Amino acid sequence: MRQSLPARLFLYASVVLTCAVLIFPIYWLVVTALSQPDQLRQLPPKFWPDEPRWSVFGKILEERPIFLWLGNSALAALGAVTISMVVSVLAGYSLSRFRVRGGQSLGLFILTAKMLPATLLVIPLFGIFRMTGLIGSMWSIILAHATLIIPFTTWMLKGYFDTIPRELEQAAMVDGCSPLGALFRVILPVSAPGLAATALYGFVLSWSDYAYARTFLTNAQGNWTANLGITTMKGEYISNWADISAASILVALPILVVYLFLERYLVGGLTAGSDK
Amino acid sequence: MARIVIDQVRKSYGALHVLKDFSLDIADGEFVVLVGPSGCGKSTMLKILAGLEEASGGTIRIGGRDVTDLAPGDRDIAMVFQNYALYPHLTVAANMGFGLKMRGTPADVITRRVQEAARILDVEHLLERRPRQLSGGQRQRVALGRAIVREPAAFLMDEPLSNLDAKLRVHMRAEIGALHQRLGVTTIYVTHDQIEAMTMANRIVIMKDGEIQQIADPETMFERPANLFVAGFIGSPGMNFLSARAQGGTTRLFGEAVPVPPGADGDVTIGLRPEHIEAGPGAVTFMARPSLVESLGSEKYIYFEAPDDNRPPGFLKQSEEDQRGSRLIARLVNAGPVRIGENVTLSFDPARLHVFDPATGKAIR
Repeated sequence: MRQSLPARLFLYASVVLTCAVLIFPIYWLVVTALSQPDQLRQLPPKFWPDEPRWSVFGKILEERPIFLWLGNSALAALGAVTISMVVSVLAGYSLSRFRVRGGQSLGLFILTAKMLPATLLVIPLFGIFRMTGLIGSMWSIILAHATLIIPFTTWMLKGYFDTIPRELEQAAMVDGCSPLGALFRVILPVSAPGLAATALYGFVLSWSDYAYARTFLTNAQGNWTANLGITTMKGEYISNWADISAASILVALPILVVYLFLERYLVGGLTAGSDK
Repeated sequence: MARIVIDQVRKSYGALHVLKDFSLDIADGEFVVLVGPSGCGKSTMLKILAGLEEASGGTIRIGGRDVTDLAPGDRDIAMVFQNYALYPHLTVAANMGFGLKMRGTPADVITRRVQEAARILDVEHLLERRPRQLSGGQRQRVALGRAIVREPAAFLMDEPLSNLDAKLRVHMRAEIGALHQRLGVTTIYVTHDQIEAMTMANRIVIMKDGEIQQIADPETMFERPANLFVAGFIGSPGMNFLSARAQGGTTRLFGEAVPVPPGADGDVTIGLRPEHIEAGPGAVTFMARPSLVESLGSEKYIYFEAPDDNRPPGFLKQSEEDQRGSRLIARLVNAGPVRIGENVTLSFDPARLHVFDPATGKAIR
């Protein structure tokens, strides 16, 4: 169907406006990072610095242990996502496929856990980690992030498994697979797009956490995550926003890389063709 | 190849009984079709046979072996699903060889058997493709290939043609029939389509509400239906039903005295197939005024009202599957011109009548 000119103009204008709203904060982050510190608050604002400070990134990498922080963030995210995916795949699959007494209530309970704000769990988690001697260790942040991620990923995966025809695993079982074999040999490979999207979501949740890292890792400088590290760059009296912005860009890059790596799975329609 | 003995299999979900004492003895190499309306329990029976659902009671023996409590993969059966259920992440060849791989068959044997099955089904050129790159008919062939490559004791087919268009369905029906002739593997085929049942089966099992209504070969099923349900289910268009009162071996239909079996006494339901009504005078002749004429070229369907004395029983008028109400249908071949509203002479042979007890629905012979 061919749209009229005003309709097309409206459509394009909406797309441009939406993109502008989404991209502007990133653009401003880059402008802030590249500007001289004394040019940040000038009026009227400059939309591109006269002399971009490209050296700021090298300076940050020299002065701050950005790679250590990034490594810690990656370790926390990968650990939390691994635990979450193992638990969520089995839980989501069970909720999707098996009708057991109390199964629905259990599913709703998990859904309720999703609604609790993360900060609500900080105190009980702190108590548990102190008792188990995990305060300051990477395990504290990995486990804490897993509690945050699992309710989301379980429901995301349950929804995804619901869309996969049951006949696929039935065919696998007739072909000689055990129920668990059917899950691993057929359902999980078919679920690659869903698994990728879910893992990415969990990764971003973990990567963007600040509250848990601040609570559990403050006294363990060697285990600081990127978000926690960046906040230490803000001084009590002086804050170098240009440097903080540059560090923020460096911290955001890995997420972009992960997204680019998983992108083909995210948009793939791998189940197309399995049935009618 | 194997004989399959299903003995008093039951399936209940709490108080809901979806399968009631289902017993069936299937001979080695036989093609048995389970047919019935939606919710009659035919697919449940097939899944129990495959081991995908657990029976609430009863036993199943395949090739003399009690498989009632065995896992699906240990029953030596292969299944073809309604929606094909091909593994989308695997190539056609890998799909077909999956079952053999699961059983630890050497790779060279898998390749040889996949090639052989692909040749039989004419899908050799598709072996490296993925299911999403295939048409509906090709997917169905691959699904069949996945079943035959295993050389199982029995094939179970769950409405395998219902996702295909009408033309392809007729073609694949013939192909499955030919495949069965060629391989001679015991096959249990589930469908709601009575034409598939009639054309493919050695024996048909008609089911309703979890119970077997009749087990017979297609001809017997058509000629000697055991009850009103079977009589109405088999045949297209469905059998005409008329109410009558029998006494001393006769009844009155269309105002004429008609002989009925001696067992018929009192109120009866008479069944007369549309194809058993002929144009022109015959053994029992009557006049009809067509309210609708459907011409299919070589044959015509004539719709006309039943006489007041023989109005079809109320419960049949209300049937969801038969919306014809009190109208009867005659299927006439080479009848010449027939016009709506103009009287036409029709007749039938009383030997073709089916008589049923309206209370129990059972045939009276």
